Parts: sequence; structure tokens; C-alpha cells
Amino acid sequence: MKLMHRRAVSVLLLSAFFGAGLLVFLARYAMNSSTWAQYPVNKHIYSNGELIGAGTVYDRNGEILVQTSEGERQYHSHQITRIATMHAVGDLRGNVSTGVQRVFSRRLSGWDPLNGVYRYEDGGAAGMDITLTLDAELCARAYQALGNRKGAVGVFNYKTGDILCMVSSPSFDPQSPPDLEADPEKYEGVYLNRFLSVCYTPGSVFKLVTAAVAIENISDIEERIFHCDGEVLIDGVRVTCPMAHGDVTFEQSLAHSCNVSFAEITGELGARTLQKYVDDLGLNSAFKVSGIPTAAGKVDVSEAVGADLAWAGIGQYTDTVNPLNFMAFIGAIANGGKRVSPRLIAENRPFSEMFTSIHQIMPEATALRLKDMMRNNVISNYGEYNFSGLELCAKSGTGEVGGGKAPNAWFVGFLDRPDCPLAFAVIIENGGSGLGAAGPVAGEIMQEAVRIMG
Amino acid sequence: MEIIKRLYGEVTTALEELDALLSYVFGQLERAGNIYTLVVRWVFPILSLFIFIRCLVPLLHKGKRGGAWGYLRMENGTTFPLVHWENSIGRGKLSDIRIELPVISRNHAVLTYSNGMWKIFDLGSGGGALVNGKKVEKSEVLGEDDEISLAGVKLTLLPASQDSACPEIPQRSGFDRVAGLGRHINTGSTLLLIMLFQLLGGLQLCFSMGDKAIAAPPAAVLVFIIVEAIYFILSDRHGGKYLELEMMAFFLCGLSLFIVGSAAPVTVFKQLVSIIIGIIGFSVFKGLMRNLNNARKLRYVLAVLAIGLLVANLIVGEYRYGAKNWIDLGFISFQPSEFVKVAFVLAGAATLDKLLTAKNMTKFIIFSGICVCSLVLMRDLGTALIFFIAFLVIAFMRSGDIKTIAIICGGAILGAAVAVFTMPYIAARFAAWGRVWEYADTSGYQQTRTMIYAASGGLLGVGAGNGYFVGIPAADTDLVFGLLCEEWGLIVGVTAVMIVLVIVIFAPLTVGRCRSSFYAVSACGAAAIFLIQSALNVFGSVDILPLTGVTLPFVSNGGSSMIASWCLLAFIKTADERRRPDLEDIIMEELDELTVTEGNDCETDA
Repeated sequence: MKLMHRRAVSVLLLSAFFGAGLLVFLARYAMNSSTWAQYPVNKHIYSNGELIGAGTVYDRNGEILVQTSEGERQYHSHQITRIATMHAVGDLRGNVSTGVQRVFSRRLSGWDPLNGVYRYEDGGAAGMDITLTLDAELCARAYQALGNRKGAVGVFNYKTGDILCMVSSPSFDPQSPPDLEADPEKYEGVYLNRFLSVCYTPGSVFKLVTAAVAIENISDIEERIFHCDGEVLIDGVRVTCPMAHGDVTFEQSLAHSCNVSFAEITGELGARTLQKYVDDLGLNSAFKVSGIPTAAGKVDVSEAVGADLAWAGIGQYTDTVNPLNFMAFIGAIANGGKRVSPRLIAENRPFSEMFTSIHQIMPEATALRLKDMMRNNVISNYGEYNFSGLELCAKSGTGEVGGGKAPNAWFVGFLDRPDCPLAFAVIIENGGSGLGAAGPVAGEIMQEAVRIMG
Repeated sequence: MEIIKRLYGEVTTALEELDALLSYVFGQLERAGNIYTLVVRWVFPILSLFIFIRCLVPLLHKGKRGGAWGYLRMENGTTFPLVHWENSIGRGKLSDIRIELPVISRNHAVLTYSNGMWKIFDLGSGGGALVNGKKVEKSEVLGEDDEISLAGVKLTLLPASQDSACPEIPQRSGFDRVAGLGRHINTGSTLLLIMLFQLLGGLQLCFSMGDKAIAAPPAAVLVFIIVEAIYFILSDRHGGKYLELEMMAFFLCGLSLFIVGSAAPVTVFKQLVSIIIGIIGFSVFKGLMRNLNNARKLRYVLAVLAIGLLVANLIVGEYRYGAKNWIDLGFISFQPSEFVKVAFVLAGAATLDKLLTAKNMTKFIIFSGICVCSLVLMRDLGTALIFFIAFLVIAFMRSGDIKTIAIICGGAILGAAVAVFTMPYIAARFAAWGRVWEYADTSGYQQTRTMIYAASGGLLGVGAGNGYFVGIPAADTDLVFGLLCEEWGLIVGVTAVMIVLVIVIFAPLTVGRCRSSFYAVSACGAAAIFLIQSALNVFGSVDILPLTGVTLPFVSNGGSSMIASWCLLAFIKTADERRRPDLEDIIMEELDELTVTEGNDCETDA
């Protein structure tokens, strides 16, 4: 029988393989079970590919943006609010890849390793809830202000990073999605959150960047007088201005957005200096907004010389910037050079301010000088009466896109008010003049924002 | 006949009324049900782990000491106890009776005991064997006081009654200490825990069905609990046998009732009947196997029946899920290959004298060849693989010849390669293996769903009857592991698999104590079948192995599989020769231990 005992080891050997297989399974389970459970055919969480068993998403005031009730996903009761917050909240099928419902599906679905998808009391929300920093009312107002124009609006608190408003147009009602295929022109790129995922030619708003570099690198910049005849030839290539500005100071050249002056400044700074500052300011980097990735802008002047470099300093050439990223840059100007990372999820955990990421991206003096110049823009050029009471500091931009299309209208800025520390960026695709198209939209939204905060 | 019909009618109406009542009651108790689930989903994993350990530890226990069938005494007074029915004598390390003299061959002779008779077989030794001075040609019956001479070494056979001094020195290791705890574990209490688990589970099923509650699942569970109790009462527990193997099977069968009760509540009685037939088959087999002559005769009968079944299957069988492995007799349909497993294991077994003399296994190889080829023709590749691996294990147990096994394996791989090239549907089955997520909605559908829902259950499960996995085809058979993990949680699911593994590992650990190598070979063969089948089922469903569509023993929904599993368990049970030490023995053992400890203390003092 000893013989049998010895030969029976063959069964033990096979058992060892079995044990190894079991360990492989357990290891895979430990690593992937969350992903497995989130797969969109899981009927505990999805029905017909639509998220059902998930938690509620609130806005900053406790308004329900989306919730699960009676086994169905219910959005906000007002259609405009639903449409305005669709990109932030996300659609049911997860087509908006930056939507909270998609990015935080794990947190919302409430899956955890111990309990799986089980929750006490069926039928109701199974998952955890998420509170956004958004103000649903402000978003709705912003969407209405955009009208039917394509574009994006963002407003954030430059002290705390809270994004109060983030709207992208075109959008649709996530509760009853229309036939998007029927009108491809109207719904072009509808699943993209234009504020986070698209980069635009900045046009003149980029002069704020060039100005910041100039303040730090040209010691007598404030004493300079630039002369504008409406155009200048650089290496035989023409750089034009809408009109001849005559003799202008540095401050006036920003207020009038004089291309000739900024062409001269850019040429004096040189490609290398400009490139270094753009990279340091983070304009070429992708951000994470509460974990949601943004698209990275691209300003590359390494090959630019002469007129190309001049145009690059004016925000044309091949320059593109991301609206959220640029809004954060504007926030840094408002905040003494300290850039507070924008966030979308309201973190209620203790010491959350300790986790807020703050970077000093430019010296405080530079920021203060830019702030004065932007305030001057409004007073001397844009008209204070258009933005009464806002203490607005701003810059308009008209990004030429070529191809016979109307330029992209930009309006960026912030309120120099301690009670309403808000910065914003408005972009309207092919909207025409920055001040003419985007300016009034920004004015309306910021008045509403002040009213809400007050 | 008339009475049966009326009785049947009355039972049916009674059940219908009960269904209505249950659906009303549990429809009203929705909130209570939610609270119930909240609590029991913690109770089940803890209880299952507890049951697992209570079954595991006694299995490791070596049982009562002593108990020899006779003794063999050498001239110089050295006495060997004959603890098996078959004892090999030789110089080799693996001989049961090892006589380290150069004149003795490595495998010299075999001493067997059957029907109250001792026999000696000469294994073609160099020195030869003599009984009372007469040369043993092949075998010779031994009487009392007969003198045996193996190449001049004189030996005398003493009957068991002469309890000549042959003290066994207890050797204790850490492992034995743990295993020794087993003697305190009361099997009855373990069974009570299993019944509690099943009662709570049955109630959970009722709650989860809510206003759709029907009486069948809880009724089946209740009947099964009564069956368990009857088995325990009728069992040989006064004879001191360990019952942990049956306890583990009971636990798994309980899970299978829950699985069926959740996935296909109307067929739950069918599953119950299969379990009962299985338990009866188990008991009958166990009884038949006790007599070696019976077992040997049974072998031929079953082998012939098995081939008949397979041939019938090939002729009249029907395709289900791509394999032609079902026979439908109109009133009942079954899978013949499941029953052939039992015949297969028995066909491979042999007694030690046969095993050490006749080295050829031609008959067994032919029989195996027929089985495997028929299964390939039926396109039941999973079962064919089970048979093939079981064949390898049995062949190795019999011959110990690694070279031959390697050659057979090589041939099989070649054959498999040819099969894959000539029969494209085989290759198609394996196309998704290892990358099922790329084919998540086509050929990887079942595996991906298994993983999705297994993960949904977490460690504790969503509660029996609350899952969505039941909607996936074969959720309660080939993919049963996913259903277990979803509704009962990963802990219970893995515990169930571990229980099968423990049954399997128990076989090779216990064969050293077998009376006959016949039992040893069949136990290991049965264990191999359990093992490969579980591996293909569990690992196939989670994409570690290709999905071949075989059942998980004792758990999957399916009558043929359930009955065959119980019959296979009978082989392992027969190999288990241990006796539970009775109370006196336990006290004696503990006294021994105490003395040892005190002795140690004295040394320390000094």
C-alpha cells in the first residue's frame, strides 16, 4: 500500500495545479472585479445600456441634477437645466466621456469589494451620491445666454477653485435624447464638452500671456511708446491691425489690442523666452478637474521666426488653448499669481482646503500689473456701463480661424471683488468680434453670478 | 393506480394552495425580507467557513490506532503487523513489509487476505517462495502455522487474535496535533450547522421571490434536510466511521438546491430526486464494494453497460448546446457519459497482486480508447478530456511507469492537433480563450457575464434569488460558479470549490491506509475525475481555461451529474478505512500526551 500511497502523489500534483488556478482567479478578481462589475451590461447597474442603479448627483445648493427613482434615472425637473448641465453630469449611455456619471460610475454605482452591488432596500438608489460645485441656475442662464450658438462658458471661484458654471453648446435633453443623427450640423461634436475637451485659437486674449512675459523681461516696458500705422512689415510679411492706433503706451496697446505693438514686443522677447513662459504657465498641459482630464493646448514657437513669431505672440499662428486651462490662468492673475486648480466635485471631507492644489505661476507684481491693465481695458475701451458694479477686469479676443469662417469670439476676465472672487471664460465658435459677441454673454452671466452669490 | 392518481391530484392542489398562501405572505413581508437578507448575507459566509473547517479537520485525523488483520513473524522474533488486505513483501523502500536482506527481491511477494483466507503470490522473485517447503508457482493458500520461506528467509503467519506484542510508538508532529483536534468534533453538530444553513437559505429564497413565492424550493430544501437526518440516523456511526465526506457532499447539494431554486424553481424537485437517488446509489455502491469479489464482478457488468450506453448515445443521442451527449427516452432524458464515469473508474482498478504481476493494461486501454473516442465523436470535448486525465492517473497508479504515460500524452497531443486541424469547430471553440473581453457579446458572452456578475456579488453576495445572472444560458450548470458568487458571494463560492478540492485531496492522503489497492486506484480515479471536472467548470467559466461546458460535481443543476457524483464519492468513501476513536481511546491518548508533557517539565526543573 505504500506503493499506492506514493503513486497517489499524481493526484496531489494535479490538485496543486488546481490550487494555482484558483489563486490566479483570486488575483484577477482582486485586480479587476471593479471593472468587471462596471461593465455596461451588468443589469444590477444598467438597464438597456442605461445607468439605473446609481447614486444622486447634486449641485452646490442641493438641487438634484440626476437621481434614480422607481428604477429609472431621473434628471432635473427643468428642461433647460437638464440641457445646460448635461455635459457636466453626463448622458445615460456614457457617450459624454468627461461626464460625472461616466468618470465616477464606480463611485455612483456604489460597488465595493465587500458588498458588491448589494444595497439595503432595493428599488432606490444603490450607489453613493456626489455633490458638484456647479450652480444649476447659473448654468441654465449661461446656456440661454449662448442661445443657439456653439461654444462654451465657464465660471470659477479663483480662491477656492469651485467651478460654478460649466456649459457647452450644442447640448441636448438627456432625459429624452433627440435624434442626433437627423441634424449633424446642429449637433456637431455634441458629446464633447467644449469647455474641457476642445482647444481653440485664442486670438487677442493670448496678448495677456505675451504681456506677462514682457513685464518680466523688458525692464523699460512701461516707458515705451509704440507706433502703429495699422500695419507693419516683418521680413517682408505684413502684420496688420484693424486700425492705425498711432502712438500708444504698453497699457494702451493692450486696451486697444494693438497687433503692431505686440508684434514688436514678441520679436523683442524671442521665441525661446515666449516658449519657456507658455510652458511654465501650464498652457500646454492637460489638467485634471476633480479627476476629469482636459485637453492640452498647444503653443509651439520653436520653428517660428519673423512674422510667424509675431502672429504667435498675438494668439494666431498655430496657437490653441483650452478654455478651462485659460480660465485658470486668468484666475491666477486675479489671485496674485496663485493659480487654484479648478474643481467640479465638492469635497466635504475635513481639511479639504489642504488638498486644494495651488501654484504660484507668476510673481505677484506681474499679476497686479496685469490686473490693472485688464481693469483699464474695461474702463477705457469696453465701457464700464456695460458691466456696471462688477469691478470687471477683462480681455476680449477674436481668434481668426480662416477658411472663410467668422472668427471665434473670446471674452475672458474676472471680478476684482473680495465677495465675488470669480473668473470666467466665454468662447463662441464663429461668433465674430470678441467684445461684440462674447462680451454681452459674459456680462449677463457675471451679473447673474453676483446676484446668486449675494 | 387509481389511488396514486388521486393522491397525486390532491398533492398538486395542496401545493397550489400553498403557493398562493406563500405568495401572499411573502408579498406582504417585503420589508422584513430586506432586513432578513441584510443579516443572513453575513451569516452564510461565516457559517460556510465554519462548516468547512469542521469537515476538514476530522478528515485529516488518522483515526484509531492499531487494528491488524494478522502478523508475520520472522525467525529472529521481528513481527510485522499486516494492516492491509494486500501486503507487498520485498527489499524495496515502498514494500509494506520491508526485509532488507540481499537475497530478497525488491518486489518479492504479495500476501493477500480475502474471504477469511490468506494467500501468497510470488512476483517472479529471484529467490522464489516456498510454503512448507513446497515451491509457490503462482499463488498458494496459507493455513495457520504454515511456514513461509522467501529465498531462505523463514516467516510465520499469525492470526489477528494472537495480539502479540507489537507496540506502536505514537509519533506526534504539529500536523498531527491539528488533525488530532478532529476527534473532538462532533459530526452530528456539523450536520446541524449544515441544516441551519439550509433552513436559512430556504427562507431567503422565499423572501427574495416575494409575491411570486412558490412552495417548491422551500419544500425541496425541507425534504432534503429530512433526508440528511435519516441518512445520519441510519449511518454506520456506531461502527465509528467518519461521515465528513457525506457532510461536505450534503452541504454542496444544499447549495445546488438553492441554485436551482433561484434559476429554475420548477425543476427543483427533479434535482431533489436526483440527490436522493444519488445518496441511495452511494450507499449501494459502498456496500457492493466492501466485498472485493463483488466489486471485481461488477466491474465487467458496468464496463459492458457503459459501452452499450455510449454506442446507444452515438446512435440515438441528441445535440444540446453543440454536443450530442443526451439520450431522451420521452419520460426522462439523461447524459450517458456521466454514468460511464463510474464504470470507467471501476474498470481501471486492480488488486495489488495483479498490479505487480500482470503489467499490461490492454483491456483497460482499449476500454478507455472507446470511451474517449465516442466522446470526441459526440463533440463532448470537456468530458473526453476528463476521461483522458482520469485515464492517465489510473494508468500511473497501476503501472507507476512515467515513460509510458509520457508517450501516451505525446500521442494524445498529436491526436488533438490533428483533430483541431481537421475539425474546424473545435478550433472555433477555443478562439475566444484568454481574450473574452474582446468578444464580450459573441463567443466570450458567457465568460464575461460570469465575471461581471461574480464581481457584482462582492464577498458576501446580493442574496439568493436577488441576482440577474440566472438570465444567462447555462447559469445553473456550466457557469454555476458565477451564480454562486453573485448570489452567495465570493466566500461561499470559493468555499464550495475548496470543499470539492478537499474531497479530492483526501483520496491520495488516505490510500496508504487502504485494505486493497483496488480501492486505492478507484479512489484516486474518482478524485481525478472530480478534480478535472471542477477545474474545467470553474476555470472555464472565468476564462482561465477554455469553456467546455461540464458540470461542477454536486452543485450544478443536472440529474445525471448529481447521481454520478454521489456514485464516484462511494469510491473515495470505500478507501477511507479509518475508525473514529471512541471515548476510551481519546482518554488514553490524552493521558499519553499528559505524560509526555510532564516528562518535559521534569527535565526543565532539573
